[in-house]
Amino acid sequence: MTNREKYKQAFSAIHISDEFSLEVRKMTNTSKKQKFNRMVAVIAVCVLLAGGSTVAYAADLGGIQRTIQLWIHGNQTEATIDFNTDGSYEMEYFDSEGNAAQQGGGGVAFNADGSERPLTEEELLDLLDDPDVRYEDDGSVWIYYFDQKIDITDKFDDNICYVQISNGEETLYMTIKYQNGWSSSPNKYPSPSSFN
Amino acid sequence: MRQPVEVLIEKYKNNIYVIAFNVCKNAQDAEDVVQDTFIQYISSKKDFETEQHIRAWLIRVAINKAKNKNNTFFRRNTLPLEDYMETLIFESSESSELSELFETVMKLSEKYRVVIHLFYYEDYSVNEIADILKISVSNVKVRLSRGRRLLRETLKEVWENDE
Repeated sequence: MTNREKYKQAFSAIHISDEFSLEVRKMTNTSKKQKFNRMVAVIAVCVLLAGGSTVAYAADLGGIQRTIQLWIHGNQTEATIDFNTDGSYEMEYFDSEGNAAQQGGGGVAFNADGSERPLTEEELLDLLDDPDVRYEDDGSVWIYYFDQKIDITDKFDDNICYVQISNGEETLYMTIKYQNGWSSSPNKYPSPSSFN
Repeated sequence: MRQPVEVLIEKYKNNIYVIAFNVCKNAQDAEDVVQDTFIQYISSKKDFETEQHIRAWLIRVAINKAKNKNNTFFRRNTLPLEDYMETLIFESSESSELSELFETVMKLSEKYRVVIHLFYYEDYSVNEIADILKISVSNVKVRLSRGRRLLRETLKEVWENDE
């Protein structure tokens, strides 16, 4: 066998689940309403907290529901998030076109002994403050940070980009490897060799 | 041109899943990526030139979504790759070699893994890979060469020198 034949045989061992088609059909039916009910981890990709805890206020029942100002693809949006004790959350908001949208997610952290535990509400909120690097289909690259949307497409030199960002209170030094992750520090630009 | 998403799902769902798995290294995230990719196709108004253009677009979107998923701290409870591998059935008399190849590829750095996969599994040329990944042709060549060398170093006679 050639390398190509071996490779194809090796990777033909993995298949998407048989239920997938049905699930997408359901999603197709609801996509116009953007109701994504799956417990997927998408919130950190497209959502950033505006102003962190200073703009987060509780409108909650029992202390687990919060109404928060979020930046979703450059649009400031008020979202209601239910935090569950299992580390998951459900969020509702209206997008820029006024359509109701729902998203869910969750996460785990690892204890020192390797066991998993659900993320706390505080940890989830902290993570929403992180900058987000997005690679768009048109080839452009953007950093979303609080209310800022920064085009860094042309700032890569040898696949490395250094960017200083600030939320008005804290400055972050970001080192971004093209298509290969990023790291940030409040003190200095992380060395590209120090991550990934 | 556009094609009905149902047609594209049947044709490409597994290819998208495999490239997403290649990046994410776990089945649950890969399946989410496949779903998100087809949802993006549905919501996109993009007009495509050919079906190959659609296929390349789907693969590019899937890779970017998988990378974004990797870059977030939010992950599902995931099955470790080693445990997942135990569930795989390699249908060949050379199953141990295929298993070793699979495991070795998945241990490569992501930038080598993706290029190797697009070349050997999707049959894309170096130029096409450069276009999909939005990197230079020379960069693709370097990644392909280094990825092959790393495979050869580990797999010895299982992976021939085909440069």
